[in-house]
Amino acid sequence: MITITINGKEVHLDKQMTVLEAAKTAGIKIPTLCHHDLLKPYGGCRLCVVEVERMPKLQNSCTLIAADGMVIKTESDVISKVRREILELLLINHPLDCPYCDKAGECELQDLVDKYGPTVSRYKEEKRQVPESHADQIFTRHMGRCVVCTRCVRMCENVQGASAISIVGRGNHSRMEPFSPTSFNCEYCGNCLTVCPVGAILSRLYIHSFRPWQVDKEIETICPYCGVGCSLFVQVRDNSIKRVIPRLGKGLNKGLLCSRGRFGYEFIESNERLKNPLIRKNGKLEQGTWDDALHLIANKLTEIKKAHGGKAIAGMASPRCTNEDNYVFQKFMRMACRTNNIDSISRTGFAAAQNYIEDLLGQGVTSNMISGLKVIVIGNAKGLERFKTLAVVPPVFKEADTLELLLTNIYKAKGVRGEKAAVDKMVREMIEKPAGIEIKEMDELVKMLLEGNSISIVLGMDLVQRSDGHRSLFAIAALTYLLEARLFLLSEKPNEQGLIDMGCVPDMLPGGRPLDIGDFKHKFESAWKGSIPEDSGLTLLEMIEGMNNKNIKALYIMGENPAFNLPNGSHIKDALKSLDFLVVQDIFLTETAELADVVLPALGWAEKEGTYTNLERRVQLLKKAMHSSTVMEDWKILADVSSMMGYDMDYASSEKIMEEIAKVSPLYRDLTYKEISSGDCLWPYHGEPLRGELHKVPITAGLTRDYKADLYLSPEKPLFHSGTLSRRSAALRKICPEPALKISAPHAGKLGLKEGDRVEVSTAQGSINVSISIDDSIKDNRVLLGNNFEGRGVYNLLSYKIDAITKAPGIEGCEVKIERKQ
Amino acid sequence: MFNETILKEIDDIKVRYPDVRSALLPALYIAQKEYGWLSSEAMAAVAKALDLPEAAVRGTASFYSMFRHRPAGRNLIQICTNVSCLILGAEKLVDLLKARYGVEPGGTTQDGRFSLVIMECIGACGTAPAMLVNTDFHENLTEKNIEEILGKYK
Amino acid sequence: METILLKNIENPNSAEISEYLKTGGYRNLSKALALKPKDIIEETKKAGLRGRGGAGFPTAMKWSFAAADPKFPKYLVCNADEGEPGTFKDRPLLEKNPHLLIEGMAISGYALGAEYGYIYLRGEYPFAKDVLNKAIKQAYEKNYLGDNILGKNIKFHLTVYQGAGAYICGEETALIESLEGRRGQPRSKPPFPVNFGAWNMPTIVNNVETLSNLPYVIQVGGEAYSKIGSKDCTGPKLFCVSGCVEKPGVYELPMGTSLKEIIYNHAGGIKNGKKLKAVFPGGISTPILPADKTDCPMDFISMPRHGSMLGSGAVIVMDESVCMVKVAYRALKFFEHESCGKCTPCREGTDWLRKILERIEHGKGREGDIELLSQVADVIYGRTFCPLGDSAAGLVMSMIKYFKNEIEEHIKNAKCVMSKE
Ligand SMILES: Cc1cc2nc3c(=O)[nH]c(=O)nc-3n(C[C@H](O)[C@H](O)[C@H](O)COP(=O)(O)O)c2cc1C
Ligand code: SF4
Ligand code: FES
Repeated sequence: MITITINGKEVHLDKQMTVLEAAKTAGIKIPTLCHHDLLKPYGGCRLCVVEVERMPKLQNSCTLIAADGMVIKTESDVISKVRREILELLLINHPLDCPYCDKAGECELQDLVDKYGPTVSRYKEEKRQVPESHADQIFTRHMGRCVVCTRCVRMCENVQGASAISIVGRGNHSRMEPFSPTSFNCEYCGNCLTVCPVGAILSRLYIHSFRPWQVDKEIETICPYCGVGCSLFVQVRDNSIKRVIPRLGKGLNKGLLCSRGRFGYEFIESNERLKNPLIRKNGKLEQGTWDDALHLIANKLTEIKKAHGGKAIAGMASPRCTNEDNYVFQKFMRMACRTNNIDSISRTGFAAAQNYIEDLLGQGVTSNMISGLKVIVIGNAKGLERFKTLAVVPPVFKEADTLELLLTNIYKAKGVRGEKAAVDKMVREMIEKPAGIEIKEMDELVKMLLEGNSISIVLGMDLVQRSDGHRSLFAIAALTYLLEARLFLLSEKPNEQGLIDMGCVPDMLPGGRPLDIGDFKHKFESAWKGSIPEDSGLTLLEMIEGMNNKNIKALYIMGENPAFNLPNGSHIKDALKSLDFLVVQDIFLTETAELADVVLPALGWAEKEGTYTNLERRVQLLKKAMHSSTVMEDWKILADVSSMMGYDMDYASSEKIMEEIAKVSPLYRDLTYKEISSGDCLWPYHGEPLRGELHKVPITAGLTRDYKADLYLSPEKPLFHSGTLSRRSAALRKICPEPALKISAPHAGKLGLKEGDRVEVSTAQGSINVSISIDDSIKDNRVLLGNNFEGRGVYNLLSYKIDAITKAPGIEGCEVKIERKQ
Repeated sequence: MFNETILKEIDDIKVRYPDVRSALLPALYIAQKEYGWLSSEAMAAVAKALDLPEAAVRGTASFYSMFRHRPAGRNLIQICTNVSCLILGAEKLVDLLKARYGVEPGGTTQDGRFSLVIMECIGACGTAPAMLVNTDFHENLTEKNIEEILGKYK
Repeated sequence: METILLKNIENPNSAEISEYLKTGGYRNLSKALALKPKDIIEETKKAGLRGRGGAGFPTAMKWSFAAADPKFPKYLVCNADEGEPGTFKDRPLLEKNPHLLIEGMAISGYALGAEYGYIYLRGEYPFAKDVLNKAIKQAYEKNYLGDNILGKNIKFHLTVYQGAGAYICGEETALIESLEGRRGQPRSKPPFPVNFGAWNMPTIVNNVETLSNLPYVIQVGGEAYSKIGSKDCTGPKLFCVSGCVEKPGVYELPMGTSLKEIIYNHAGGIKNGKKLKAVFPGGISTPILPADKTDCPMDFISMPRHGSMLGSGAVIVMDESVCMVKVAYRALKFFEHESCGKCTPCREGTDWLRKILERIEHGKGREGDIELLSQVADVIYGRTFCPLGDSAAGLVMSMIKYFKNEIEEHIKNAKCVMSKE
């Protein structure tokens, strides 16, 4: 325990820290320009000076370690004088263009000058001229305003791990620049914007369009893009989003954002948004009234239920919708439509993985925070750079073999005794089956894994999307167990976890309660006042087969676009077309919605209230920042249709739905919006532990694959896009306007292709026309393409084989032909 | 892009340090020799050879005054004008070079024969004034002998 | 005094290992390898050896901190960045006596448990680079460097690292950053390099001259070594005299030799019979002394008492014809150019000081400029991250202290009174 005195106040510290940090714990703010809470101490600006008794000179509090017995003053006449003089130096070459600068009002330099002076400068020489740069699509640079605190560079290099910018030049010619004189050509996370204390780097999205004090409201909410669930503020003026900024120190992101979170908000105000219901008449979708549309749906579904039973109806829930939406969705499907055929796009990865691992370990994933631990990322997980201590990317299509080999090595190195005997037998079987693959540095990896304590494993979903993906999962589960690690599944959509928690799966009720356990079922039946259909339903891809076999007659889709987001798009479209009745509830007229009989417009992120559950199982509140007059919440639409079908649902607000969830779900027990808004609610919240019994876990022998073709096509998960939403965000389209096929240099060379050449990419499924981009990180015979742009998504070109056990689609070994096109 | 021989040379340098980034300054020297100056292309080649971010390469390169960021002439005159040389007349020599060859400090003669750089101390203060031409030291310079010396550099 | 460091440099082949061996070279290495590492540190302590890089920190003390750190590997770095204007003392050692340095480094490496050494050589010494590389090759061939030195199963490898023109890289933490391939900006201390230095490992940075003293310490023992020089500052010291003297050059003299004696007895007095005006006793980073203040013993302890510092022992002599404004302006141009840009007072302050001096030098001085200069110097002094900024401010302060009248006249007459010719 260290005790120091700051401004006459005794402060006790339980660990070593700097004087600046110590002052902060005591609620005393010391002015800084180069220091930032997200960054390591730097000591450049010299504004944080303090007086320390028995030390001759003023000391820099940001680098000075607090020692027991120190007596410190953070304000005095001498200190103020020094700060004034340092500020005077900072201003000698500063353009003093506050009236024109967007930062004015939230500029740290301006605030400090306001507090400490000076009012008149003694500097009479000419100012250094530094030209502005407006060449980049997203950022502007005004390096005349730069105070060389280097926060942006340290953020980019040490925190984001991108190293896209650096300080160039020396001494008073130092300024921040990206490598190229024009474009930043970076990850566009914009975290440099967060830390820049002055107006040296600014976003062009809002340049000169408002002043920081001119926003109507600032709403704290959650990012709509992925399962990390970053906490952020949305600033709104005149019912329009002006900008998104992070919430410092909050959530898993603790003040960091990625390009999508920060700049991808424009989709919500896209003029392509659906505003009115559409009803198919004579083969064409035409505008209709809410009344007509809802009645039509209720009648049609009732008709089909009567004629063919509930089993002929299926529903797709949405990992982009809130917990409340999804809860009402499954309740509607089960109670009004009388079917357990409920699944979602999450079956292609997250849900499949969680289900299988839960069978193995009795618990699908850990509920715990990621940060602060040793984080091992297995597979592809872009954007997790800041958490990563180690990344393991097994050779493509050989993931399972490699992981089994790793497991074998860990097992040998560790030796298994006692309570781990349960895994022992299963693992032993694997050891007897040598994987026969060498990965470089395997020994090193084993050593690192065994040395680390409190390891977190984050799993990329590419590993699951194999026809033997469950083998990789098995190895991962065993690893997790042996290393006593925490396992996280990387979730590509914002609410995959919540969707599962809400019971939008064919075999579980909310709270992960298996449908086939009578006790659980009865509890829900009494809460929901009705009986729940007996048999477990179909998984996503089984539904598709069901449609093709004419067993499924009607499909209700909430916020999903399977025609684009599932592999083998034409096959999926055929299945959708074969339906008697298709309802799509969405914010855009997607490829899927175009095939629907009724399309219902819904409210989107930032327009509605609700909760998301992130990949750590942190339940977070989504708040309403804007209003829309013609459109309803997803849950409200569902409740209305349900009531029309004779199963009454009536909720006054999403909060009321959460009240019901908190009663019926053991995972969210007693959770309230008030508590959720603290941002620190991780489930099980006041809840019971998950079931612990071990099921009989199926596993198959390894597949022998034979890849002889020249090139194979694989999906890519790019940093800037997610598909439906991101392609309607102008900023993200500026950063990445076009799909590009990534190819390794040797293969491009073989085909005589140069960067930017246009090619025709063809597989057995079809072909598209895109340009190519040469990527040195590809070391094998694969070409990569994302699934983000209309008509040019990779999934249209891919076929899949279902993993017999997890039911996820195995996307692998898709031979591809590439020809130059003019 | 570097050719195989240079890549091999860089690989030999890398192993001398616990971290490859240390090979950056040596590699920049090699690139400067190869390309004549550190163009974007040259820096990108270094970044690639060492697997370092391009921006980091540029940030480091721009810190050091002996790395050139624009093309230079065939011969580089680096003349010291720091205090010891100054008090023994280095400024006059600079004026002479300006007049005789029509070159400003930081610039290159029209015919590309000389680039002129004003140096901070080059460690020849005991034999001041002094200059480095390419890698050769020339000391005890006078208005007379400087032209003679430079005459040898075509 | 017999020369120890500059021994044999008159021999045109002094850099050859054969010549070095003829005069007893590398014998001290084998003698040292027979000692225990801690005994070598003990001898160095007894010798009273202080670092010759400028700060005069006791070498044995620095070593014992590093030796006590359990982290491994440790690195020994020779600071051959010699960039202080006026300094050219390491250059003859590097160009003419490289084996003395290599031997010294091998001995120190053994004493410290460092198996890798680096010589951080300034970019402006291309010739020295070739000489060193050749000498290192010879030393490897003769087994004075390598994995199994003299068959004693002791390992020491040596690599020359060429800087690229940045004075600040002479500062040890900036040097380490540069050695790691980064922008050469100082790191904050603590932690000190002896614990967290290059690649975060214990690292000892010593000047060329410091390390070149080691063979002699081993040869005669600490006790005998400490008899050379003054009481608390021992050993031979290289003084480099430049400027307006008859015989500029590097002189090896006992530590504590008086400044006056160096200028008049060794460097032949003021050139062309002119009068002495001022001296930088240890490079331009040490405060200037006027002619009447040169009667002082040149060592680390006495010089501060006489209002300056020993620094690198670079004596820059200025006669009556030299204009102080011009010197100050040129010096500030240097500091501004070499400021790394990390901390505000140095980055902005040197720029400001330079601009004021430039104005005065060009006959555009204003009334009050002297006060302004001293105020700006005050803002910088004691507030910078590393000593570079302090040096710039200190120079201006000492100029004002001793040559205020001259600056004033310069402002008043809008030109230089001195350089009329
Ligand atoms: C701005 C600055 C420049 C320096 N330049 C040099 C230099 O060129 N050579 C040197 O040996 N030490 C230089 N030093 C001192 C080093 O930081 C360090 O103290 C020295 O290398 C330690 O070696 P020593 O103990 O043998 O003197 C410089 C220090 C500062 C603050
Ligand atoms: S005083 Fe500051 S800016 Fe100047 S060289 Fe040292 S750290 Fe860099
Ligand atoms: S905050 Fe401490 S020096 Fe900048």
